[in-house]
Amino acid sequence: MTPQLAGQIELFLQVVIAGILLGGLYSLIGLGMSLIMGVMRIINLAHGELMMVAMYITYLAFSLVHVDPYVSLFIVLPALFLIGAGLQKYLITPVMDVESVLPQNQVLLTVGIGIVLSNLAQLIFSADYMSVPVSYASKTIYWDVNVGGQTISLSFNFPFLVAFAIAIGLGAALFLFLGKTDIGRMIRATAQDKRAAAIMGINTKRITYITFGLGAALVGAAGTLLAPVYYIYPAIGGPFTSKAFIITVLGGMGNIAGAVLGGLVLGLGESLGSVYISLGYKDAFGFVIFVLVLIFLPKGLLGKSSV
Amino acid sequence: MRKTFVAAVAALAMTAGPAGAQEKVVKIGVPLPLTGAEAKFGEMEKQAYEMAAEEINAKGGVKGHKLSFDIQDSGGKAETATAIVEKFVSINKYPFVVGEYSSQCSYSVAAVAEKYKVPYLVVTGAADKITQQGWKYVFRLNPPSSLYNMGVFSFFETVAKPKSIAILYENTDFGNSTSKAMKEYCKAKGINIVLDEGYQAGAVDFKPILQKVKSLRPDIVYMVSYLMDASLLMRQSKELDINPQAFIGGGAGHTLPEFLQNAAEASEYCMSATLWTPQVKYPGAKEFFDKFKAKFGKEPDYHGVEAYAAAYVTADTLKRAKEWTAEAIRTALAATNMMTAFGPIKFIAWDQFTNQNRMETLVLQVQKKKYETIWPKDAASAKYVYPVPRWRDRK
Repeated sequence: MTPQLAGQIELFLQVVIAGILLGGLYSLIGLGMSLIMGVMRIINLAHGELMMVAMYITYLAFSLVHVDPYVSLFIVLPALFLIGAGLQKYLITPVMDVESVLPQNQVLLTVGIGIVLSNLAQLIFSADYMSVPVSYASKTIYWDVNVGGQTISLSFNFPFLVAFAIAIGLGAALFLFLGKTDIGRMIRATAQDKRAAAIMGINTKRITYITFGLGAALVGAAGTLLAPVYYIYPAIGGPFTSKAFIITVLGGMGNIAGAVLGGLVLGLGESLGSVYISLGYKDAFGFVIFVLVLIFLPKGLLGKSSV
Repeated sequence: MRKTFVAAVAALAMTAGPAGAQEKVVKIGVPLPLTGAEAKFGEMEKQAYEMAAEEINAKGGVKGHKLSFDIQDSGGKAETATAIVEKFVSINKYPFVVGEYSSQCSYSVAAVAEKYKVPYLVVTGAADKITQQGWKYVFRLNPPSSLYNMGVFSFFETVAKPKSIAILYENTDFGNSTSKAMKEYCKAKGINIVLDEGYQAGAVDFKPILQKVKSLRPDIVYMVSYLMDASLLMRQSKELDINPQAFIGGGAGHTLPEFLQNAAEASEYCMSATLWTPQVKYPGAKEFFDKFKAKFGKEPDYHGVEAYAAAYVTADTLKRAKEWTAEAIRTALAATNMMTAFGPIKFIAWDQFTNQNRMETLVLQVQKKKYETIWPKDAASAKYVYPVPRWRDRK
């Protein structure tokens, strides 16, 4: 094999690795939105802003008391769960009960929540860019493979690898939770038929609080995992809300396994597209995939089986 | 009882009278991004405008009037900036508009100002096209982005003499305009452009494209980035062990104090084109830097001093204008010839540019976690390090 070909193979494999690792994080962002979509039938447009809140909590924990971002997951997950459940209980549920001209006014409400959150963040933290400068932010693990007499050196970024592992772990935990526990079954029942679930004695309102809390905690985890490799500012939520939306639609609205797949497809599509087509259209690839899926697979990659 | 009451009223009237007469205010409209992704720059500029206004007013203001900047939040969106300026012109009746941050917003505002025949001073928007339209009412304080690289070019010719270059730039007016100047220069000088890629700002992972840069082994990696992309690009370049002779930024992102903190050791030896450093020899430059830092607890970059200088140009123009109408202010602005902390300001025309200030641009390099001016030689505060050591050989 010629060195040129080996170089091309190395580039391709490296790009695929980067795409999959990034896709793991995207999956985590999409999972929360998909879960909320599956149960409440609303798109939570404050999703990215909830992630931003989690990132600031991680930042505070790191800069004030030197808590490692991965350890701060234990603070972020419960905190975001409470914030999410609180938002559902005190803001979204009351609006859902009101008869209104616009059938989707809860969605508008989530937009408003997002705006309030990002403005609050600017008020408290100012518009400065902040980062969580951990010592291992650019730590990289190298793996040399011998292919046809040529050495191909593949690199794995440590924080991305950890984020991927934790994302997979949380995804698996969510599956187990929904499949094996009573509350998980109640969530699935509520998603399938809210009225029937209520007749069966399920407190569906409480289930919606828990679901929103879970969704917020999942995207919060994504924010914490992203903090060491990215940066934080008050308006960071917007682009991630639209990524989550693409993933949710890609996977089939409200399909949990689909969200994981959707995240990976988006991550891979972005990184392959940016090298082999053009980096300038990185965000466009997501939308192109999105439109293609809407046209040819209107039920998403895995079809619309709910939660 | 009644007497004391009357006396009190009289006293009140007396104190209120002259105070009211003194409080004559001249207001100038300034759209700025105070929220959104560019808010950091908007905030810095707002502080600089207000600091300058305070100084000007402490010295008696402008023709007995207090100078006040009416700063409105555009959110960094061109539509909002346009709407704000329409309001400034038609409702507030301001005869003069100053400011905005990004090239996109400045360009939109300039079009509105020209339409309403109200003078507009561009302060930071750098895309060449803003002052290439032959617009009569649009003036620009900062050099156009094609000149941002002048210092870098002279560094190339005297010191670096590179043979190949990889160009990565943000897909915005500023990124396109700045990188275009670099591309034209490289073509003219026979420098091989091995990669030429625009990217979408705010990407999480640049590693795929950097991997491609690595495989091409260019002498120079040249980047034009706003915001925090600069830090990510450098951090990920270090991670992938990309070793060109030098990393050079095209201004903006690579010149921010935050770049040093966020990129940390990955920022070491990174060079960048810049318009201004606190080490320049213009009167008031260092004083501005120190005062700003003491007052707001943050270091200003060249955007801050541009806003500060713009405030002084505004005051100077208002002082010289025969009357405060759009026409008279335009005439006075066109005749500006003054020295500021940012440098000499004079609006001239050359090539396709009109009403454009022209000035020397610099090159800085991060050395020991500090920005040092390295080029041109007579303005240098430290000697350049070139070629930069490989990542593995450091420390």
